[in-house]
Amino acid sequence: MQATDWLRSQARRIRKPLLFSAGLTAIQALLLVAQAWLLAEILSVSLWDHATWSSLWRQWLCLFLLPPLRAMLQMRARSLAFDASQDVGAHLRMHLLERVQALGVLGLRSRASGALITGLVDGVDTVLPYFARYIPGAATAVLVPAIVIACTLPADWISGLVLVLCAPMVPLFMVFVGHAAERASHERFEQLRRLGRSFVDVLGGLTTLRQLGAAWRVADELESEGEDYRKISMQVLRIAFLSSLVLEFFATVSIAVVAVLIGFRLLWGDIPFHDGMFVLLLAPELYLPLRALGGLRHARMEAVAAIQGLQTIDGALSASAHQGTEMVQCAGPIATSPEIEFRGVRFAHAGRRLLLDGIDIRLGRGLIALVGESGAGKSTMLDMLLGFATPMTGNILVNGIDIQALDLSRWRARLAWVPQKPHVFDLSLKENLLIANPGADGDKVNRALADSGLDMVASRLPSGMDTRLGENGLGLSGGELQRLALARAFLRDSADLWLLDEPTAHLDAESARSIGRLIRAAAASRVVLMAAHRLDAVMSADHVLVLHDGKIVESGTPRTLLDSGGRFAAIACAEIAG
Amino acid sequence: MNRAQSSVVWRLLDLLGAHRAWLWSGAALAVSATLSGIALMAVSGWFITAMALAGASAMAINYFTPAAVIRGLAIVRSGARYGDRLITHEATLRALASLRAWLFRRLIPLAPARLAMWRTGELMARLRADVDALEHFYLTVLVPSVVAAAAMIVVSSVMAVTLPTALPVLVAVAALAGLILPLWAKRAAADDATAAVVSSSRLRGLMLDLLRGYGELLAYGAAAGQVERIRQLDGRLAVHRRNVERIQALGSAFSGMLAQIAVILVVAIGLAAVRAGALSSPLLTMLVLLSIALFETLATLPEALANWHATQASAARVFQLADSEPTVSEPAARAAVASMPDIRFEKVRMRYANETFWALDGIDLEVRAGSRVAVVGASGAGKSSLVNVLQKFYLPQSGRVFLDGRSLDQLRGDDVRRRIAVIAQQTTLFDRSLLENLLLAAPDASDAQIDRAVQVAQLEEFVAGLPQGYDTVLGDAGSAVSGGEARRIAIARALLQDAPVLVLDEPTEGLDTHTADGLYASLDEAARGRTLLLITHRLAGLARLVDEVVVMRFGRITERLPVADYLARDAVELNEPAFR
Repeated sequence: MQATDWLRSQARRIRKPLLFSAGLTAIQALLLVAQAWLLAEILSVSLWDHATWSSLWRQWLCLFLLPPLRAMLQMRARSLAFDASQDVGAHLRMHLLERVQALGVLGLRSRASGALITGLVDGVDTVLPYFARYIPGAATAVLVPAIVIACTLPADWISGLVLVLCAPMVPLFMVFVGHAAERASHERFEQLRRLGRSFVDVLGGLTTLRQLGAAWRVADELESEGEDYRKISMQVLRIAFLSSLVLEFFATVSIAVVAVLIGFRLLWGDIPFHDGMFVLLLAPELYLPLRALGGLRHARMEAVAAIQGLQTIDGALSASAHQGTEMVQCAGPIATSPEIEFRGVRFAHAGRRLLLDGIDIRLGRGLIALVGESGAGKSTMLDMLLGFATPMTGNILVNGIDIQALDLSRWRARLAWVPQKPHVFDLSLKENLLIANPGADGDKVNRALADSGLDMVASRLPSGMDTRLGENGLGLSGGELQRLALARAFLRDSADLWLLDEPTAHLDAESARSIGRLIRAAAASRVVLMAAHRLDAVMSADHVLVLHDGKIVESGTPRTLLDSGGRFAAIACAEIAG
Repeated sequence: MNRAQSSVVWRLLDLLGAHRAWLWSGAALAVSATLSGIALMAVSGWFITAMALAGASAMAINYFTPAAVIRGLAIVRSGARYGDRLITHEATLRALASLRAWLFRRLIPLAPARLAMWRTGELMARLRADVDALEHFYLTVLVPSVVAAAAMIVVSSVMAVTLPTALPVLVAVAALAGLILPLWAKRAAADDATAAVVSSSRLRGLMLDLLRGYGELLAYGAAAGQVERIRQLDGRLAVHRRNVERIQALGSAFSGMLAQIAVILVVAIGLAAVRAGALSSPLLTMLVLLSIALFETLATLPEALANWHATQASAARVFQLADSEPTVSEPAARAAVASMPDIRFEKVRMRYANETFWALDGIDLEVRAGSRVAVVGASGAGKSSLVNVLQKFYLPQSGRVFLDGRSLDQLRGDDVRRRIAVIAQQTTLFDRSLLENLLLAAPDASDAQIDRAVQVAQLEEFVAGLPQGYDTVLGDAGSAVSGGEARRIAIARALLQDAPVLVLDEPTEGLDTHTADGLYASLDEAARGRTLLLITHRLAGLARLVDEVVVMRFGRITERLPVADYLARDAVELNEPAFR
């Protein structure tokens, strides 16, 4: 769908308040005509007929009542449109959130979340002025001139004719000149955004630029890019502003012509002073909304650009996430630890080569290490157990039941997960842990902290456990992030299947050993599936699975695999030989 | 306006000083366009009344001059408006180019030490919006204010001469509608406006958490709760925004109403004056239309005022940032850095701002030109801080670092960094093509040099797989690059710098064993004839690459030993599975 079509369809959704708002604007315009009429009346009767104050009291009273009335109508019209725009905003944001979630964990992982956020927050905010300002402005630009002309014609048809001829020239020429200009100004707008992005881009990489000795050069570049942009823009603007020249020209010239024509007909006594004054008071009002609309076109352009940006979210809807069906068989918690079986599981990421090509394994209690090159599909196997990815063919069975037949949320309640790149929520350290188990008491939290070695980190933070960690986990190193994720796993006491994705990758040898010991202990009563790089971590496993070219090529205890001199042994030797 | 506020204006004008001629001619054109519009209405009003009077009393009247004046004013107004828009935009675009470059140049010396807190996306977005506001200061604040002031002065002068009794009404309503009401509205909406800003930033955080932490939220059954939190916050934000909007709508409707009432009062006062014989009828009509036109002009003031408040806040933030003193001072005189320097740390202690512990706690280290040293140690042991000090990005609180016997204090940071190519843990790939990214390090590099660097960094396959090869755009807007690929691009870029000292901070992080092996092998070749400082966790392949190992712990160097000795000891630990 085109961005403009989408905007129109949304405007249709809030048609009622918008129409109501336009109706109020129309009444307001009629009152404006009445006000001009009264003013002309008072002036003409006082100056020409030398009427007394007292004979005009009704007119004076009405004249003083009209401005407050108009102000109220304006306010109401404005807030109607604003509230309607807010409704669109709330609806749009929730809709987008659904869409984004529909991308699933895998879909989100492959996208820059910064761009998505900008779309969800700023994009939506940028769209709203289109409904709150542009549409009412456009309605005003049609209604007010039409009403003004309609009321001028009976009073003085010659002036009315001048306005009838001139006023449509404005939108007409705006379309003529404006069509090309709009496209040009849209391009310009895009260019300006690019320029802005590149400014932020180099600012963000300032340290890198300094390391490369390129910072001062880039500063010069920024200046010359800006200058180039100016030169190109000015060429475009010289033409684009012609539309505003046309507007000004017709607006002022038609008023001048109207004034001169009225003047001469007054001299010849063709029309009464009242009608001449009335028309002269109204004529400028005709062009005010047209002029205002020129300023609002920017709001429209920004809205269109924002919608185009948002469409990248909407467009990727096709990949829908796995929806958990109602649990069929797996009723109630299973007392024993789960038995997991992969049967002929094949998987590929959308449009990529086959990643897993027939995985057949059985997992039981104990520590199972998954070994293989990065990108071999270790994380994908964990993703499948988490319900983030679904096998293309084959099944994954939990105690004999297909994982797709399980109630996902109840299944996940039995999992603990240490991802490769754990996320730190914009919350305190404590709240970050409680994500895994909101009901955990202080003792449990403290034990999880101590077990994961995170207590050292907590003691370093300014407000300890209550320190807010903020965006990007401000102040936590890669190893500390892993400890945080481990602490979450320790807190999750309902979990009897642990999925660990390189839990010691960023740790130094000493920390890795102590964490390894804890994982080892946890595996006594659970199934622990651990993707691992480091030899020391792998050697402590009960069982090792070697993943290569989409298949499990070796399987056995680390000792036997090492002795068999196969692939695992080769990897191990390479690491030690270093 | 208090002193601090006015100084912001002067400072901005000062910054834009180079474009002074454009700025003032744009403003002058805007003023003449507006004044001729006002004059057009006024003369028209006078004209029709005078003509009507002449018609009624059958007097002769010179109608040529006013009719010509009216037509002339219409032409002048149209032309001036066109010129006004053109010149004011020219001035704005000139300001844009120079302001961004100015700010960027001011920030260069501040990176990274002064900008450490400021790297997050939100602050960056705010800075961009701030600079935007400064760029539009002229167009959205200065020009409308100058125009309004000019119109006010001209119209009140005419009023003072022709109908002095109406002047107080005119001035009072202008002040009320143009200044006092908008200020009231701002104050009345302040609480909600602040709350809206806070909620909006919180909303951004919640959404970011939802997107980045979606996996964790799903795994731990907390996703629905997060969405609900977002929905509630969005609702609260809407309420705050609605309140702000209501107050603004009230303010502007009230201003418009006052303006209309002022015009009616001018009519009343004027009619009284006409009756008393103090004013002619044509002049009265002129004054009425003059007042209407004046208030139309003044109607832009509230928006200009709002923009002005926003600009002030933006300018304060931008100037505060731009005025921060770099933590690292540069010597006045420039001294050459040896082409192949020895590196020596002497009793170096360094502590980051806002931290209580010493990141470097008495470092004595000598790295001879051409030698190859690995630095190992737990995370947080101070390895990266060592590099920060060596690059002259951070100053040690005590102790000194020497390059070839010359202290870093006597050397310029740029000169130091020209000799030291660093691949940091966090390097940025820019939103440009791969080639442009590489050329940042060496704008004059030949194709052969680039190919060579790409080969050493194990990037050939990656480049071959890119849709447009070297011209493929990287970064957020462009093709997605994995962590390992980004790292290798950074390595290729650093190699192109062709510096005698090569510092690599965890170069194999995020690479699989195979690629890491290959990279070590090619680094061996690339480092030939250079000093190599390698910070790493990875022990495999280390023996081929370095001669010595320096072990760090809690900001101190605990050991320095030949690589063979170190590995022999550590390999034993490796061989023995730790948790049996």
